[in-house]
Amino acid sequence: MSSSHTGFLSRLFLLLITCVPVFAAAAQDVVLGASVQLIGPVANTGRYYRDSYQFAIDKINAAGGVKIAGQSHKLVLKLYDNQSDVNLSMRQYTQLVTEDKVNLLLGPFASNFALADSAISEKYKVPMVQGGGASDQIFARKFQYIFGTLAPASNYFGSTISMLKLLKPAPQSVALLYADDAFDVSVAEGTRPMLKQAGLNIVLDERYSTNATDFNSLLSQIKSRNADVVLVAGHETEILNFVRQAKSLEVAPKMYSFTVGVPSEDFRKALGKDANYAFGMTPWLPSAELKDRWFGDAEQFAKAYKAKFGYDPDYHAASGAADVETLVQAMEDAGSLDPQKVRDALARIKFESLYGPIAFNANGQIELPQMVIQVQGDNVVEIYGLKGLIKQPKYPMPAWNQR
Amino acid sequence: MKMWKIGLVLAALAVLAGVPWYGSDVLIQFGINALLLAVLAQGWNIIGGYTGYASFGNSVFYGLGGYGVAIAMVQWQLPFAVGMGFGVVLAVVFAVLLGIPVLRLKGHYFAIATLALSQVMTAIVSNVGIAGQNIGLVLPPLNNDPLFYELSLGLLTIATLTIWGMTRSRFGFGLIAIRENEEGAAVMGVNTTLYKVMAFALSGIFSALAGGIHAYWVTFLDPASAFDISLNVKMIIMAVFGGPGTVLGPIVGALTLSTISEFLSSEVTSIAGLFFGLVIVVAVVLMPRGLADMLRRMRKMGWGYFIENIRAHRL
Repeated sequence: MSSSHTGFLSRLFLLLITCVPVFAAAAQDVVLGASVQLIGPVANTGRYYRDSYQFAIDKINAAGGVKIAGQSHKLVLKLYDNQSDVNLSMRQYTQLVTEDKVNLLLGPFASNFALADSAISEKYKVPMVQGGGASDQIFARKFQYIFGTLAPASNYFGSTISMLKLLKPAPQSVALLYADDAFDVSVAEGTRPMLKQAGLNIVLDERYSTNATDFNSLLSQIKSRNADVVLVAGHETEILNFVRQAKSLEVAPKMYSFTVGVPSEDFRKALGKDANYAFGMTPWLPSAELKDRWFGDAEQFAKAYKAKFGYDPDYHAASGAADVETLVQAMEDAGSLDPQKVRDALARIKFESLYGPIAFNANGQIELPQMVIQVQGDNVVEIYGLKGLIKQPKYPMPAWNQR
Repeated sequence: MKMWKIGLVLAALAVLAGVPWYGSDVLIQFGINALLLAVLAQGWNIIGGYTGYASFGNSVFYGLGGYGVAIAMVQWQLPFAVGMGFGVVLAVVFAVLLGIPVLRLKGHYFAIATLALSQVMTAIVSNVGIAGQNIGLVLPPLNNDPLFYELSLGLLTIATLTIWGMTRSRFGFGLIAIRENEEGAAVMGVNTTLYKVMAFALSGIFSALAGGIHAYWVTFLDPASAFDISLNVKMIIMAVFGGPGTVLGPIVGALTLSTISEFLSSEVTSIAGLFFGLVIVVAVVLMPRGLADMLRRMRKMGWGYFIENIRAHRL
């Protein structure tokens, strides 16, 4: 049994190896390998990465590909579906490196995948640029071959807190609420020291269970402790419930801000007029100010993307496209395909992309500040960004019966 | 067991043990996964196959083993082996504390009681500071897949030898007696509570060791991945497909199903998701006693074997 089982597998590998010459035939092609979630629980977001990788590669190829030492090379994407299975994704990255001999790696979606898969890129010393994992843990291991373009979880409220200092009357007290999943706990852990540093008094610091529907007791605590600012790190349905219940209990702090929901149209549709005044954040908006070598700017990228795939790109898609551009830029900077040289080029990379300025800190993580946004009437307005205040925030929020 | 059978098993073991020398990196990684799943299926075999208590909560032991290793290595800077020991202690304590009340339930009720265990443990561990709460723990990486492979193979061998020894001991016969008729076993002088708890603990020990190896190998552990519910289903399907209550059946089941699943997931990804569902249906309808039984009786009965099964279960 066992021998036939290994025989079967080696035949399987022979089959796969014979597939590789399809890529090897066009000798000069640069192959980028990735394993993403195309089915399974997180496939919804996983597919953004497939689409954005391919989209960026097609665009770069149309512009002549990547130019290394005076020679143009076409880019090819070698993509596997890891079916939302971490073990399988590790195996597929090993396969990409050892059997398919890809040149460089693009990342999977989600932090736990990036954590496991970064160990593979480290082991084989092939750089991986990933735009799907925001956890600070990925970069705390001092790995040399992992680079990330998703804004760090710990800094989600960073820009909001710097904005608080500019508000009048100045807020004094803060309530921090967060869901009990890994990401939101990291957000809260990063937020606490920043609040203390800003001299704000944390009057409520509560964790609630993911998918909670009842926020009545938390809201009455916010009211009784007189919190000026409410910061919530959670998921969209929780935040919808939070706002609806705040209205029915007439809890109106001077402002509230949410990690998710505010940028999306669904959020505003679901809440109608009650969405007004809500603050939120996004690392990326398809703005014409973000210039890009291949797409022109982020606005054109978003338009072309929607035309091709039929849905609006969010920051995941922008981050994925930027990952491809980052690898291309690094190869051109290094003037080589050598993984070691590309890694060194990645470590000191600095360029403008549709996603924002790309540069990595010593751990390989991008330092991309979140843009503060607010729902004002029917629109989402950029309030505070890299260069300070953009538009005047509506602050303080009026009481519910005075709207 | 006849001599040629022992020889065959030893030859298979030698072939498997040699994989790190002649196999590719991907094959070794696949092997680690398949072997660990086989250990889980063997662990389940003790409580589900021999004792007849279909536990849907064995992934809890797997998670506890993982956390044992992760906590010992990350929080206390202890060596891996100590972590494995700690994981086993956690699993045994859990099996005894939980087994005494839950193993009083029978049939469906036992299955339902264990079904919720994984979710409950996820919720509990998410609040334990030393286990890294929801964020999880990152273990120091060790780039030595051949070592992990041989460890997994060694563990599977030990688990299988234990079961083999068990089947010829008073303990093993006691478990089978419990499966066939619990009241009858009690009348014959089998201490059913003790036997069941011991079987549950033994099944937990092997699952925990598998979880420990996996945690160190993947280098990352969080509650959702440690107490993975789909693992429960996988180990049961593998054990039942191969033949529950047999010494080698679960291994055959785990290795065959892993291989087919691996092949499907790289060739026809959309079907791969359906795969385990199809296996359940086919296995339950056509061969409810597993591959081992099918191979044995197909020789005598031919295709009639399947018809016989369908008829016997009045489908």
